[in-house]
Amino acid sequence: MIYLFFCITALLSGVTYFVRNRTLSHLLVFIHLLAVVVLGAYLLPRIGQQLSEFFFCDRIGIIFFIILIIVSVVSAVHYLAFVKDRDVRPNVQALHNAGTIFFTGGMVGVLLASHFGVLWAFMEATTLGASVLIYHNRTSESLEATWKYLFISSIGITLAFAGVLFLGLAGQQIQNVDFTFATVKSLSDQLNPLWLKACFLLIVTGFSVKMGLVPLFNVDIDAKDVSPSQVGASLSSVLMNAGFVAIYRFYEAFSSTSILPWMNKLLMITGLISLFFAAAYMLKVRNVKRLFAYSSMEHASLVMIAFSCGGLGYFAAILHLIMHSLVKSSLFFQVSQMHRIYNSKIDENIGSYLRINPLGGLVMLLGFLSIIAMPPSGMLISELLMFQTLIANNYWWIALIVLLLVLIVIYGLAVRMLGIVFLKKNTANINMKGATPFESIIQLALILIVFYIGLFRPEIIVDSINQAIKSLPA
Amino acid sequence: MINFLVIVFIISLIYISKVEMVKSYFGLMALQGILLFGLAFLELKEVSIVQLLFILVETLVFKAVFVPWFLHRITRNKVHRHNSGPIKGYYSVLIAGVIIVVSFLIGYLLHDELKTNADLQVKYFTAAIASIFIGLFVAITNRDLVTHLISYLVIENGIFLLSLALGSEMPMFVNSAILLDIFTSVLVMGVFFNKVKDYFQNMDATQLSKLKD
Repeated sequence: MIYLFFCITALLSGVTYFVRNRTLSHLLVFIHLLAVVVLGAYLLPRIGQQLSEFFFCDRIGIIFFIILIIVSVVSAVHYLAFVKDRDVRPNVQALHNAGTIFFTGGMVGVLLASHFGVLWAFMEATTLGASVLIYHNRTSESLEATWKYLFISSIGITLAFAGVLFLGLAGQQIQNVDFTFATVKSLSDQLNPLWLKACFLLIVTGFSVKMGLVPLFNVDIDAKDVSPSQVGASLSSVLMNAGFVAIYRFYEAFSSTSILPWMNKLLMITGLISLFFAAAYMLKVRNVKRLFAYSSMEHASLVMIAFSCGGLGYFAAILHLIMHSLVKSSLFFQVSQMHRIYNSKIDENIGSYLRINPLGGLVMLLGFLSIIAMPPSGMLISELLMFQTLIANNYWWIALIVLLLVLIVIYGLAVRMLGIVFLKKNTANINMKGATPFESIIQLALILIVFYIGLFRPEIIVDSINQAIKSLPA
Repeated sequence: MINFLVIVFIISLIYISKVEMVKSYFGLMALQGILLFGLAFLELKEVSIVQLLFILVETLVFKAVFVPWFLHRITRNKVHRHNSGPIKGYYSVLIAGVIIVVSFLIGYLLHDELKTNADLQVKYFTAAIASIFIGLFVAITNRDLVTHLISYLVIENGIFLLSLALGSEMPMFVNSAILLDIFTSVLVMGVFFNKVKDYFQNMDATQLSKLKD
């Protein structure tokens, strides 16, 4: 079944590239999404099982698989409005849709891979798919962002491959070490810690471009800025999740070795430095899409900091990622609508949004409350849990630094977003045709899911996350 | 024989750090492809047709023939001499030399950590680490996009050598997927390289500086 899915992905991606009929091209994307949903239905009763030699279905994979379905479907719906508004050329649309299918298929591969080599191969595939999507607008900026993303991502992914090879070096003392997660995990305490450290360092460095963390975050920010908003939404949510899952696989495999405290320190340092950069840039940035891109970096940092604390921090990290995916994609989708109305993404040119487009303004306002973890946003729970674990681990100073940086981030977001929603500015050329209520309702639904999680803490989500982190040390 | 091939590979790295004419890169990449084929062939413990074919495709066909041809094609009649970066001429050779010495020291220090056939692994390891760092050095110190593309390929060659140093083999399915990915990434990079070249009429990466906060 899983191989059939990848065959369908390759076939549909290839066919879509040559289809110039707009309706048929969109239809092919939705057919692929249907295949993803069918695969999801096939996977649900098979959680915890090996699907084939190189693929398996575990809790963490299935959690982010469901998020992938939600975001991808909403993204495809938004692209319909985008094409209609921008009058996108058929060949550009064909390439975008083929890239979308390829990109989605790549991420499914990352989430379900049970072999480090296969995981790497699919991660590289997402880079290629994302490059095509980033280039969509065919401007000098999109070309610049695409080249930088492709080049830096490829270097990063190559370094990550060196990490996979170091894992092989670590396993040389033992016979029959293949690169599957299960084997590496079962034998990890016999592996040479020096090579495991080198492996993990390279993996975090290489995949930092996917999660939007230090050191390779710059190209990720540029990519989210110049690509169409629905692509920015995917990069900020599902690709970030895929990057996390990739790091998680290595972390989990090495978690029973002596390098666990070292890995935690590395993740903590990465998170703190990334948070610092995100906070510093968010005070300065005036472009709304870049603001949201740095906000994604901030949340990726918080996820890493929470995860590095272990115990309850694991739970907080995964819960935070789930909710961030929904809120951030919703905000990016809304930016697309806002851009259509004001023909600008610079905050000085956007004002009185709540009055001009009440439903869109409501999405912005509720999205802002969600993203800064204001009640009833579910993100409050995950951030509180993160601070709780930091303090429980006696990381008082770190908790204070994180708190200070988060406050700076909230200030940066509040100044820009509340200004957009409420302040009257010198806005010219407002095009009200861009305000489509249908899109805003979908975005609102995504944010309301996060509120629902915050208010009712659904058992299915709590149980799923607890099951997912069961294999990690307490 | 292995010693000879590794030494020639390292010399080619020094030359890459110094090259000023773009066409010299094509020959050097072809040479590295042939050297890697030689090393991979000598490393084959049991010669099966599938393995031999795979190595042939990966090194001779892809690295020694396709990549230089493709680079030549995308730079034809457009780019002859690349813009030198802040570190010029023999200083870059000196730095490349230092990188190689440091790589050797790292390889030698890790001698005890390498278990099976450690002496052989130190050679591969040294060349691999040197290749990765020289690739990064070339990427950082040059501003033109042709050299960036070359630096990526040099890093890829380093990774190939590293996989030889480990001697650990992945299943054929995984190897094929990895090769396909690298092949596609070179192709896609080439396509975008052409677009950048057409758009900016210049191969200087400083042109690509519109996006900032």
